[in-house]
Amino acid sequence: MFLTRSEYDRGVNTFSPEGRLFQVEYAIEAIKLGSTAIGICTSEGVVLAVEKRITSTLMESTTIEKIVEIDKHIGCAVSGLMADSRTMIDRARMECQNHWFVYNERMTVESCAQAVSNLAIQFGDSDDDGAAMSRPFGVAILLAGIDENGPQLFHMDPSGTFVEFDAKAIGSGSEGAQQSLQEMYHRSMTLTEATTAALTILKQVMEEKLNSTNVEVMTMTPDKLFHMFTKDQVEEALKKVTSLEHTKGDVSTHSQSEVVSTDS
Amino acid sequence: MTAEVNSYYPDYATETPKQFQFSPYADNGGSVVAIAGDDFVIIGADSRLSTGFAIYTRDQNKLFSLSKSTVLGCSGCWCDALTLTRILSARMQMYEQEHNKVMATPAVAQMLSTMLYYKRFFPYYVSNILAGLDTDGKGCVYSYDPIGHCEKATYKAGGSAGALLQPLLDNQIGLKNMQNVTPAPLTLEKALALLKDVFISAAERDIYTGDKVNINIITKDGIKEDTFELRKD
Amino acid sequence: MFSNNIVENSYDPFQMYKKKPETASPFNFVERSKAPVTTGTSVVAVCFKNGVIIAGDTLGSYGSLARFRNCPRIIKVNDNIILGAGGDYGDFQYVKDLIEQKVIDEQCLDDGFSLKPKSLYCWLTRIMYNRRSKFDPFWNNFVVGGLQDGVPFLGTVDKLGTAYCDKIVCTGYGAYIAIPLLRDAFEKNPNPTEQEARDLVVKCMEVLFYRDARSFPKFQLAVITKEGVSIEGPLDIKQNWEVAYVTQN
Repeated sequence: MFLTRSEYDRGVNTFSPEGRLFQVEYAIEAIKLGSTAIGICTSEGVVLAVEKRITSTLMESTTIEKIVEIDKHIGCAVSGLMADSRTMIDRARMECQNHWFVYNERMTVESCAQAVSNLAIQFGDSDDDGAAMSRPFGVAILLAGIDENGPQLFHMDPSGTFVEFDAKAIGSGSEGAQQSLQEMYHRSMTLTEATTAALTILKQVMEEKLNSTNVEVMTMTPDKLFHMFTKDQVEEALKKVTSLEHTKGDVSTHSQSEVVSTDS
Repeated sequence: MTAEVNSYYPDYATETPKQFQFSPYADNGGSVVAIAGDDFVIIGADSRLSTGFAIYTRDQNKLFSLSKSTVLGCSGCWCDALTLTRILSARMQMYEQEHNKVMATPAVAQMLSTMLYYKRFFPYYVSNILAGLDTDGKGCVYSYDPIGHCEKATYKAGGSAGALLQPLLDNQIGLKNMQNVTPAPLTLEKALALLKDVFISAAERDIYTGDKVNINIITKDGIKEDTFELRKD
Repeated sequence: MFSNNIVENSYDPFQMYKKKPETASPFNFVERSKAPVTTGTSVVAVCFKNGVIIAGDTLGSYGSLARFRNCPRIIKVNDNIILGAGGDYGDFQYVKDLIEQKVIDEQCLDDGFSLKPKSLYCWLTRIMYNRRSKFDPFWNNFVVGGLQDGVPFLGTVDKLGTAYCDKIVCTGYGAYIAIPLLRDAFEKNPNPTEQEARDLVVKCMEVLFYRDARSFPKFQLAVITKEGVSIEGPLDIKQNWEVAYVTQN
C-alpha cells in the first residue's frame, strides 16, 4: 500500500484518487503493532485472552488493563493505543447504561458494537462538523458478550467496521494466531478447550515466555457473565497448556502455523 | 387591576370579567381498562372525546398499537396524548432500525417512563396504561402517572373513571375483601365480560365516559379488535 | 427586598428604581397573544356522501363590538382542501399565509402532487401544539375539509393542538347550538346528499345567528366534491323574528 503514498495521506477525510483513505489504513497498520489479543466464541460462552507487554521488571503489571468490563454481559479486549481505547470503552459503557436506563434491558452485543463504531468514525479535520477526534482511533477491539442471541464475539478496527467472529486474533501476533485459530476452532468446542487453545496460541506468538503476570484471561458465560481470571485461575489454565504440550512431546519447535489440537 | 384599567380607558370603564388565563392543558376525559391473563392481555378504552359538558366526538379511538404485542391506552389531555403517541411510535421505529428487533413490552414500559419524566416540569397530562405480552408471552399491564411513575400490574383502570373502576376490578379480579374464595386463573372470556361490565358501570356514573368501547385482545397470534356500545347520554 | 411595604400606599423612596409590574394592557406585546383580539365565531362543517361543507359568518368581532363586517374565514387551500377558522383573525391570517406559502412551494415542485387534507390537518396539529407548548398559542379553531383519495375528510384542530375527525364538526358556540341539531339529523340520515347537507348547515347558521350574540347574518359556505371547490357568499341568513312578538318583555 505504501507504493501509492502521496499527498493524499494528509487529511483524514480526503480520498486518494484510487479511492483510499490513507490515514484510516495507517491506523489499521498501527493496530498491528499492539499486543496480541485472542477471542474465541463457543456455545458455552466466550473467552478472551491477551498478552501484556511487561517492558520492565520494575513495571507493576497489574496496572496494565487490556480486558475490561463494559457491562455485566459485555467485556472487551483492546490492542493498540491504550489511551484511545479508554475513550471507546467509556462510550461503550455509557451506551450500555443508557440502554438499560431507557429500556430496562441489556443492550445487545451488536448494538454495543454499533455504538462504538459510531464513535470510531467521528474523526475529521474541521471543528464545525462535531468531530470527536482529529484522527482515527489506533485501536482494535474484541467485544465478547452474551445476550438473547447467545454468546457472541465482535471485532472492530479503526475504520469502525465491525464483524462477528467465531474466533479472532488482533495485535502484532494476529496473523499467525488467526491462522492457528482457523485450524483449531471447531463448533463443538467447550469453553475450557477454547481457553486452553487461546493460551496455547498466545504462547506461540508471544515473544516473552507466557506466565500468569503477562497474560489476562476473561470468560463470558451465561451464568457468571463477565468473569476475569484471578492469578490462580490463570496459573491453573496455564498448567493445561503446558501439560497439553508435554503430551505433544515437543514444546520448543511449535511454529506459529503449526496445528495444535485441543482434543488430544 | 382597576387602576390599570382606568389608566388606559375612560373613567366610566368598569372592570369587565377577566379573560381566562391561557392554560396549555385540557381535560378531554376518557377511561382505559386493561386486564392481563397468563397468555393474553386485553385493553379497552371508551371512544368519547369531550371537554367540560361538550362532546367533541363519540368515535375517538384511544388505543394505540405500538407493536404486534404492545398497545397503549391514553386518556386525559388529548393534544398531549396525540403528541406522546406520535413520538412513541417514532421511537419504536428508531429502536427497530437501531437494534434489528421489535421493542419488547417491558422495554416500551421503561422507555415510556423515561419519556414522561423527561418532561417532568411541563408534563404530558396523560394517564397511560400499557398492555402487552412480555418476551415469555405472558400478559402484563403497566400503569403510569403523568410524570413517569410506572407500576406493573395484572389489571388496572385509568382515566376519568379510573378511581371508580379500580375497586371493582380489585374485588372481581383481585378477589379483595372476599371470604372463602379460591383464586382461579383468569380466562379470556371472563376478562372480556368483566371489561364490558366495568365500562357499563363507568358510563352510568362518569359523564366523560361513554358512547363505545374499543377493545384490543392481544395474544401470541397478534391483536384482535372489538367494539362494544355504551350509553350515549 | 423593599417591596413588602408594611404600610400600603406609603411613600417608597426606591419606587423610581423598581421595574414596573407587567400588566395585561393592550400595549404590552408579550401579553397580546395570550388573548384573542379580533375574533370570528363558530364554524359549522359536515361530511356528506361525496364531499364536505364548511360554513362560517363574516363578522370580525372586537370584544362585544361587531367591528368588521366582511371578514372571510373560509378559504380554499388547493383543489382538494378547504379550511375554516374561528378565533383570533390575525392569527388566522398568519397561519393562512404559512399555508398559502406551503401550497405555492408544492406547486413550484410541479410534480403533480399536492397537499392532502390529512397532511394539512396533521401539520396544523403540530404547529398548534408547538405554539401552545411555548405558551404563545395561535388562538384559533381550524376546520379542515377535503377529499383524501376521493373519500371525504373532516377534521379540526384547536389552539392546544387537540385534534379529531368526525362527520360533524362545529367550533365555538356551534359546538353547543349546532352540534345537537346536526347529530339529530345525522342519526336519522347518516349519509345525506349534498343538498340535504347544505340545507342542514344553512339551518344551523340561522339558529346560530338567533342565539350567538357574536354572529352575523352574512356567511360563507364552502363545498368540496370531486368536481372541485366552490366558496359561495357572502350569503344572507333568512331571518324570521315573528316569534319575537309572541314573547313577553
